[in-house]
Amino acid sequence: MSEKTRNKIIVIGFVSILFIFFIANIVKKDEQISLTERRKLAQFPTITFKNISSGKASEDFDKYTVDQFIFRDSFRSIKSFWSKNLYRQKDNNGLFLKDGSIYKIEYPLNKENVKSSAEKIKSVCDKYLKNNNVYYSIIPDKNYYLQSDYLKIDVNEMQEIMREIIPNVNYIDITKDLNLEDYYRTDLHWKQENLENVINTINDEMNIESKINTIKNEMNSENITNTIKSKMNLKEAVNDYEIVNLGDFYGAYYGQLGMKVEPDTINILINDTIQNSIVNNYEKNSTQKVYDIEKWKSSSDKYDVYLSGATPIIEIETNKEIENENSSSNKELILFRDSFGSSIAPLLLDNYSKITLIDLRYVSSKILDNYVDFKNQDVLFLYSALILNQNVFK
Amino acid sequence: MVFSSITFLFYFLPITLAIYYMVPNKFKNFVLLLASFVFYFFGEPTYVLLMASSIVITYIFGRLIDKYQGTKYSKIFLIVSLIISVGLLVYFKYANFLIENINLWVKNKIDFIYVALPIGISFYTFQMISYLVDVYRKEAKVQKNILKLAMYISLFPQLIAGPIVRYTTIDGQIDERTHTMQKFALGVRRFIIGLSKKVLIANVLGELVNTFSASQEMSTLYYWLYAIATMLQIYFDFSGYSDMAIGLGKMFGFDFLENFNYPYIAKSITDFWRRWHISLSSWFRDYIYIPLGGNRTSKLKWIRNILIVWFLTGLWHGAAWNFIIWGLYFGILLIIEKLFLQKILDRVPKVISHIYTLLIVMISFIIFSGESTKEILQNIGGLVGIGNPLVSPESIYYLKSYFIVIIIAIVSATPLLKNIANSKKIEKVARTLEPLFLLVLLVVCTSYIVDGSFNPFLYFRF
Repeated sequence: MSEKTRNKIIVIGFVSILFIFFIANIVKKDEQISLTERRKLAQFPTITFKNISSGKASEDFDKYTVDQFIFRDSFRSIKSFWSKNLYRQKDNNGLFLKDGSIYKIEYPLNKENVKSSAEKIKSVCDKYLKNNNVYYSIIPDKNYYLQSDYLKIDVNEMQEIMREIIPNVNYIDITKDLNLEDYYRTDLHWKQENLENVINTINDEMNIESKINTIKNEMNSENITNTIKSKMNLKEAVNDYEIVNLGDFYGAYYGQLGMKVEPDTINILINDTIQNSIVNNYEKNSTQKVYDIEKWKSSSDKYDVYLSGATPIIEIETNKEIENENSSSNKELILFRDSFGSSIAPLLLDNYSKITLIDLRYVSSKILDNYVDFKNQDVLFLYSALILNQNVFK
Repeated sequence: MVFSSITFLFYFLPITLAIYYMVPNKFKNFVLLLASFVFYFFGEPTYVLLMASSIVITYIFGRLIDKYQGTKYSKIFLIVSLIISVGLLVYFKYANFLIENINLWVKNKIDFIYVALPIGISFYTFQMISYLVDVYRKEAKVQKNILKLAMYISLFPQLIAGPIVRYTTIDGQIDERTHTMQKFALGVRRFIIGLSKKVLIANVLGELVNTFSASQEMSTLYYWLYAIATMLQIYFDFSGYSDMAIGLGKMFGFDFLENFNYPYIAKSITDFWRRWHISLSSWFRDYIYIPLGGNRTSKLKWIRNILIVWFLTGLWHGAAWNFIIWGLYFGILLIIEKLFLQKILDRVPKVISHIYTLLIVMISFIIFSGESTKEILQNIGGLVGIGNPLVSPESIYYLKSYFIVIIIAIVSATPLLKNIANSKKIEKVARTLEPLFLLVLLVVCTSYIVDGSFNPFLYFRF
């Protein structure tokens, strides 16, 4: 190839790329949100004298051009590909793909934060729970089960720190009840349909006789309301629950990684108790079902199908009139929880007449008695290692 | 506006190129002037007036110096113009630093002034000074057209991150410059290589530097990783910007001088500074060192001259003591080399002189990028394993994660790849693949920018 031809190709190629993307970006319609990244995209800046003179308009325009760039997701995939395959970097923006599953580096163990989290739990126990059976458990992040040299939180050391600060609260170790397959590949959460061992361990430790695989339940597809039935693709009945496949699920890590990964499937477990339970949301002053099908359809985070996603305080009440024999207990549970709790709580309903779910990230522990009547309920603090490693309790 | 942004690459540059090449030659300078002001206005909306005022002042004094050439007034006008130019730089860049240090010694504390540092002021002030001095020295012809002078000073390719282009370098090109396919292609090559240096190497290593700074898990290995990554990041960032500036210059018909020449293959600090930020070191040589008497004076005065120059070189990089120490550190080493060390370095095996230079430079950049004396001492002490384990899980992880990038950076900091590409055996293949290689790099750089990856502007203190 002659020097002249090469120069021509370089110049034409360069100028073409510049102009094609310039025109394409102008022609392209702006988008409001990125479904893959689950966030609002920057919009064309407001042009005012103040914004221009302060430089804000320029900054906003820079963000706008990046967010609205044509084929943004494809470009992000190119970056991920380059980083992973050429640079052989172990992670891309703190996330990495291993055996088809996406992980996020959460490192290191922040001892001070764990201590603060434990102190907060201790203060709640001291203030409200002197007459209660109190338990706590730590949900390991899925990196815990990754056998490799990736950086991960030392969950064992976290357990030790927690034990030192709240020695009188019963600890339920569920680390042995989970493995990598029990977590979504594209998300940080665990799968509801894989929680049988965890439920059984919790029941054992909390002296609840019933076990998830021994409950006699007459549940079958006829029991499911027509509304739900028509929206869901019923598959198979396992033990006492019916597993209902809602469809594909692209988890929170999927969009952050920016690489093509097979989607997960989101399932919900249904039985009579769950079907007949009502969720009271005091913040919104509304009632809803345990599984929020509308959220599943409309929310960018499909995991919100479980109890409608993040909420400070909600109560799930089983319907006394039609509840089955096994859920006739009048015992109540207070579950201090994060998002992992949303999917496990429905599976605890058979043993309790009411479960109150409190997320200490969104409600101050100082004013809990304004909303919750602390009596002799069972109490379980169930938080993921990811949350305990941050100082986020109010 | 920075070159490594979507705004520049896919909005500003195509629009500017299109208008520039569509208008007749006589309007090209005006288009560049307008584009340069838009470029500066985008990043510094208020300070565009400061730059415009500085240009008008430089123009007026340039004319006055020229008009009264040969009389004492010429010198007076030069001194007044330098006082104004340097005064503005001192006010905007160093006032708070001065106040902070004066306040250490006085009871009645002076209030700080609330003024932000105008981006690029150090670069364009130095260009103005070189123009005024050169006119005074009759080394440059005075520019009678204010728009052309304004275009030279504000020329966007070199405005915010250099190189410091002397007026004498592009004097003739302002009125007459060639635009050819070959020159444009050369410009594209340099620009894409520079962009890749910045986005694909400097920014990636910058992430490692940031991760290190945020970490609590120190080890000797981690300190070394940090030191090497910092050293490479600064080089690839700075030389990447210079490459982009030179490349853009060529696209618009200008030929700027080279600013870097593989500084990390230097065999001494003297050699290093012949290869690093050449436009700055030559500026200090011609406008400070030589006027002070250079080395044609007594040994004591020569030492004084070197220390003054390197004190100022350090100060130019930022209004903080670490920059001054950084400059003086090099000044002292240059004196030592000139007194006796250079002779020894000439005799020892090359590998030793290379290691010596790299270690000295590596420590210099720890000083350069340190936020406090404590941090600097900690980061230097960490290299020899003071109070830390040899390795930690985090350091091993990041060594593995950044190993390839560091190797690519080290190899790219030498002429090795260039020599291989030019070797007769693969020259033909390399040349055939060159266009594809460059365009792929452009797309990958775009993907890194679109991803919103770490993209710092290191010159905000310059």
